[in-house]
Amino acid sequence: MAAAAAYAAERRQSRRALRKKLLVYAGLCVYAVVAGLPVYWMFITAFKPNPDLYNLKAFPLFFNEHGVTLEHVALLFNKTGFTTWAGNTLIVAVAVVLITLLFAVPAGYALARLRFRGAESLTIGIFMTYLVPTTLLFLPLVKIISTIGLFDKLGSLIVAYPTFTIPFCTWLMAGFFKTVPFEIEEAAMVDGCSRLGAIARVVLPLSLTGMFTVAIFAFTLSMQDFIYALTFVTSSDQKVITVGVVTELIRGDVFFWGSLMAGALIAGVPVAILYTFFLDRFVAGITGGAVK
Amino acid sequence: MAETVSALGVRRRASRSSPLRLDRQSVLGPVLVAPAILFIAVLVGYPFVLAIYLSVSDADVATSGLGRFVGLQNFVALFEADVFWTALRNTLLFTAVSWLFKGLLGTILAFLLNENLRFTRVFRFVILLPWTIPIALSSITWKWMFDTQYSIVNWIGRALGLIHENPNWLGEPTLAMISIIAVNVWRGFPFSAVILLAGMTSIPQEILDAAHVDGAGPVTRFRKVVVPMIAPILFVGTLYDLVFSLTDMTVVYLLTLGGPANTTHVLASFAYLVGIQSGALGRGAATALLLLPILAVVVFVTLRTLRRRDI
Repeated sequence: MAAAAAYAAERRQSRRALRKKLLVYAGLCVYAVVAGLPVYWMFITAFKPNPDLYNLKAFPLFFNEHGVTLEHVALLFNKTGFTTWAGNTLIVAVAVVLITLLFAVPAGYALARLRFRGAESLTIGIFMTYLVPTTLLFLPLVKIISTIGLFDKLGSLIVAYPTFTIPFCTWLMAGFFKTVPFEIEEAAMVDGCSRLGAIARVVLPLSLTGMFTVAIFAFTLSMQDFIYALTFVTSSDQKVITVGVVTELIRGDVFFWGSLMAGALIAGVPVAILYTFFLDRFVAGITGGAVK
Repeated sequence: MAETVSALGVRRRASRSSPLRLDRQSVLGPVLVAPAILFIAVLVGYPFVLAIYLSVSDADVATSGLGRFVGLQNFVALFEADVFWTALRNTLLFTAVSWLFKGLLGTILAFLLNENLRFTRVFRFVILLPWTIPIALSSITWKWMFDTQYSIVNWIGRALGLIHENPNWLGEPTLAMISIIAVNVWRGFPFSAVILLAGMTSIPQEILDAAHVDGAGPVTRFRKVVVPMIAPILFVGTLYDLVFSLTDMTVVYLLTLGGPANTTHVLASFAYLVGIQSGALGRGAATALLLLPILAVVVFVTLRTLRRRDI
């Protein structure tokens, strides 16, 4: 009798657990559809031939009678500056990553490890800098960039992007350096290394993951920018990929949707993958120190 | 380890014979921080000051130099322009409404992801796409999704029986504003969820169990235990998100360009229109600068609300 009751209770419980599980999956599915639809739509549009794309009778969510085409991708690569923009993006990215590492790694180390006057207020100050919106800075930066002769050149972005990558990555690096056990560094110094020697031989090698993460973020943050890239560069051959795709594939009021979506897909998905892999670090970075 | 130590031991004499002044923390610290601070001072601090100067000048994009001092003329002109007031109203509406929905959708999502069922990682990748895809690329995709003729949004709406004719999403002022807010919410809710999730996983299970034993239901546990405990993380996340919403121009620029008839501008897109497209750099700077008091209020209120909860 008691065993039967217990069995029934157990079954009830497991049924409730199952129902909860199904509910969670259903919820996640709804979110996934809403979140993923635009990217799916990019994909369908990028490979669907125009006669099907602009046919109101065709089922829009999949390919139709004319099948799949590469003509939009071909147009993108052969008839637009897409490869140039991709190359420009790469140049900007590499330069921004190098500059960011050069400035943020020493600063991050000092703020995390060294005691000196003003260290704490500097840490908060650097984080606040990250919150200074680009909207406030882009107009004066136009003047500054024209003055130093970089207006309408890729160089303008190489100068401008570190204004937000350096504060953010300094903050991130400081977090990483805090995780390197102090004793290792001390041991090296007791053994006669200078502090700089200890940094070079012991701390930096242990922080390579951190530096790699910072590099990825300097890149993805640069890719997220639109306002600087739109404002500082107007010539087609100097554009980066995001601005190129959304401004050059529209002639008058004709939108080349197939190629536009192909460009968005090719430029966007790699960034999304990289970003997702490092998102936890990103969150740890902006909330850094808020929760111990 | 032993190898490291002995390898370093060899260096002992060399470093003892030349005691570096750089080794002192009070010297090395500032030396290492200086380049970053200098960079920030020149390219964030100086432009910031310059923005204030430009806002009281008649500087324009075409001519070099910083223009003449014109006092508060730019601000007066702004306050007299209807578009400015529309943009201000839209900015506040856009920020408040999207904050509300991002918070709501993000909270639910955080709970779903927190269940950590199988395939959560796959779901996570797809659900994070709005946040991880560069905003310019997703905004232009939404423009295509809201197309007057081939809108997939309308097609799905009709297929589900939610709508019966085709709304002109970007061509009608109210609908255009709704679309802009929707895209901002779409872009931001995964981030709210991720921030909340990061906080939730940082709370020890024992504390939640203790509250449970004390008779606290799920809602009470969330409000009285989880939220106060993760208040600092929520503060930074909310702040980051609000600053982003208040100052973003990408969605408006790519979806509607401020149209129809300048009804959907926000301060940021209006600043771009005035400062770059019309070339009145000074007046554009004045527009952007007016975001500052709003930002200050937002920071202050967020800080206070979360402080009060944190008893």
